[in-house]
Amino acid sequence: MSITFHRIPPSGPDHLGMSRRMFLLTTTMAGITTSMMLGSAGAAFASPLDAGQSAMLLRMVQDIYPHPGLLQISHYESISGTVIKGAQDNAETATALIDGLGRVNALAQELFAVDYVDVADADAREGILRKFQNEGFFQGVRWTAYFGIYNNKEVWPLFGYQGSSVEQGGYLDRGFSDITFVPQGPTLEQRLAEVQQ
Amino acid sequence: MAQFDLGDDGVVVIIGSGAGGGTVANELAQKGIKSVVLEAGKRFGLEDIENDEWAMFNKISWLDKRHSAGGWHGAVNHPTLPTWIVKGFGGSTVHWAGVALRFKEYEFKTRTTYGAIDGANVEDWPVDLAEMTPWYEKAELKMGVTGKTTGMPHLPWNNGFRVLAEGCRRTGRSDYNSGPMAINSVERDGRPACQQIGFCMQGCAIGAKWSTMTTELPRAEATGNCEIRTDCMALRIEHDAAGKVTGVVYADKDGNQQLQKARVVCVAGNTIESPRLLLNSASPMYPDGLANSSGQVGKNYMTHTTGGVYAAMPEKVHMFRGTSVAGIVGDEVHHDASRGFSGGYYLEFLSLGLPFMAAFLEPGNTGWGRSVSRALESYDRMSGVWVLGEDLAQERNAITLHDSETDQYGLPVPIVSKTPHNNDYAMTAHMYETSAQIYEAVGATDVYELPSYPASHNMGTNRMHADRAKGVVNGHGQSHDIANLFVSDGSQFTSSAACNPTLTIVALAIRQAEYIAKEMNAHSI
Repeated sequence: MSITFHRIPPSGPDHLGMSRRMFLLTTTMAGITTSMMLGSAGAAFASPLDAGQSAMLLRMVQDIYPHPGLLQISHYESISGTVIKGAQDNAETATALIDGLGRVNALAQELFAVDYVDVADADAREGILRKFQNEGFFQGVRWTAYFGIYNNKEVWPLFGYQGSSVEQGGYLDRGFSDITFVPQGPTLEQRLAEVQQ
Repeated sequence: MAQFDLGDDGVVVIIGSGAGGGTVANELAQKGIKSVVLEAGKRFGLEDIENDEWAMFNKISWLDKRHSAGGWHGAVNHPTLPTWIVKGFGGSTVHWAGVALRFKEYEFKTRTTYGAIDGANVEDWPVDLAEMTPWYEKAELKMGVTGKTTGMPHLPWNNGFRVLAEGCRRTGRSDYNSGPMAINSVERDGRPACQQIGFCMQGCAIGAKWSTMTTELPRAEATGNCEIRTDCMALRIEHDAAGKVTGVVYADKDGNQQLQKARVVCVAGNTIESPRLLLNSASPMYPDGLANSSGQVGKNYMTHTTGGVYAAMPEKVHMFRGTSVAGIVGDEVHHDASRGFSGGYYLEFLSLGLPFMAAFLEPGNTGWGRSVSRALESYDRMSGVWVLGEDLAQERNAITLHDSETDQYGLPVPIVSKTPHNNDYAMTAHMYETSAQIYEAVGATDVYELPSYPASHNMGTNRMHADRAKGVVNGHGQSHDIANLFVSDGSQFTSSAACNPTLTIVALAIRQAEYIAKEMNAHSI
């Protein structure tokens, strides 16, 4: 099952995955920031991933839900950090993740003769990941990314979502009917008139 | 609240506290008839309602083990979640959006209207619209449905519905409005007016939306005639040597088995649990399960023929602001064989929060990547509909019992099998096309088609039929085989119609309670 784009063509191209600037940031900073974060998360735990694997994981979470103009690299680092924490807490998860990352990278090497993180074409990277999308390790990373972005109250404003409203009296006085590019709905008088017996 | 003795064999035992069970309980209580309601889930109140999609999903959903089977996409993408319904006080009336539509005349007479359809098991109801109209009116008054019956105006139109309505106007449609909804547009019946909170399907936090949780159940308890036992899962219905049902064995909150004696039993556990309970109650006298001489218990499982369509508009819409289902388009609800399918369908504006939009835009393992991400960036410019149309009864679509796997109560796990009929594919294509035309007429830049969600409308597995060989219950929901056994929920539907089932469940429940009272007074049951 896939999204069907209706006969009108898409209004613009899909994202390239990230801007050039962001790409440079991730490749140069991934190892540093991830290890710093892990250092602060708990020095007693050693990351089950080495620096290269951590950088690859960070690349992967960005390729799973790319929002280059919207999210910061720190959002994705937080997600890869959650994945790594999960791997620290569960040896089975760690083994599957490391094995999965290895196979993703092996496919990148086989197809493009470079590491996954060095495949420049975002479509090609997504294509590589599609091969692994029915595997547990991939879906584990994917759903961590899903919850870290779309179920994250701090991220919601970036998508224009305002969330819970009951504590503010709902949206009745906060723009539930404020758009101007289509006509107004019927007035209270009109709505009352139409239900008169 | 009343407390009845387990050995009290004068009570009506009602299994389930949702639209069917909760309504029957209160109707009987108001008439002075004593009942015990067995509710499998926890007791919920307004204080439990949060404006948080996943928090509420995890809190109230029926998540006991089930298998999703058949040819629909959910067998792959939602393998353990065939349905999206509630386990708890108030049942699925906590989750429902409030749409309160009546069946059309032809929808009670589908066999007569459509004729025999290959691969389907379409039949007429033993009741018709003329018979049901006064009961619909009683249901509308009880629930507080906006419209002529109550005189309550329909709700004000929110952003998302205004986009849809303008598309309808520009494509020459006429039947679109913000009701009928069982949501107060003015203060009524001790409940406040809607504040356009949104999150209707996570439960209305102020009680503006009708739910048995805030109306029928507390009112039934207040009479002193009704005891509601939560965390009590019905396991089996017992019967005597004459074949009459005598009580219900259930697991209480501590997991201990209890037997509540009964004069009458009403089964209202929704369309999976109701037939499952009858099948699990098989005995030497009823080897195929209770009330199953027709062989139709568990068969003819209907949801609705559904999908979603979301359109990205050129400007901000903020569809999440306000009532979740803020408007209904009814122009396509008629039978016209030239369209290539039988039955009709509604378009209902439906907002999703960002979490659910991201999960259901493309459900399953494939729902990630550049296309999905790009679509989600237009979230605040989206308006969209849930399309729902008549789903034809098919015998192969059924609730069956797993032959080895059991749940936490030790009962065989239900397998919920659903394979679309060709009628569904033809209707779905028409639905998507219509929705896209409407949104394109108002300037949509992208249109996304979503497959069906796990079903919240579940019907047909203990269906009504005048002929006892073709249905489980008669026109009052009374078992053809066992006079003191009733089915009180949507599983008694003969056809699904195009509309949301709750109003019809409530209307049937009011009518059934009247019948039960009459029969009890006459000592017929």
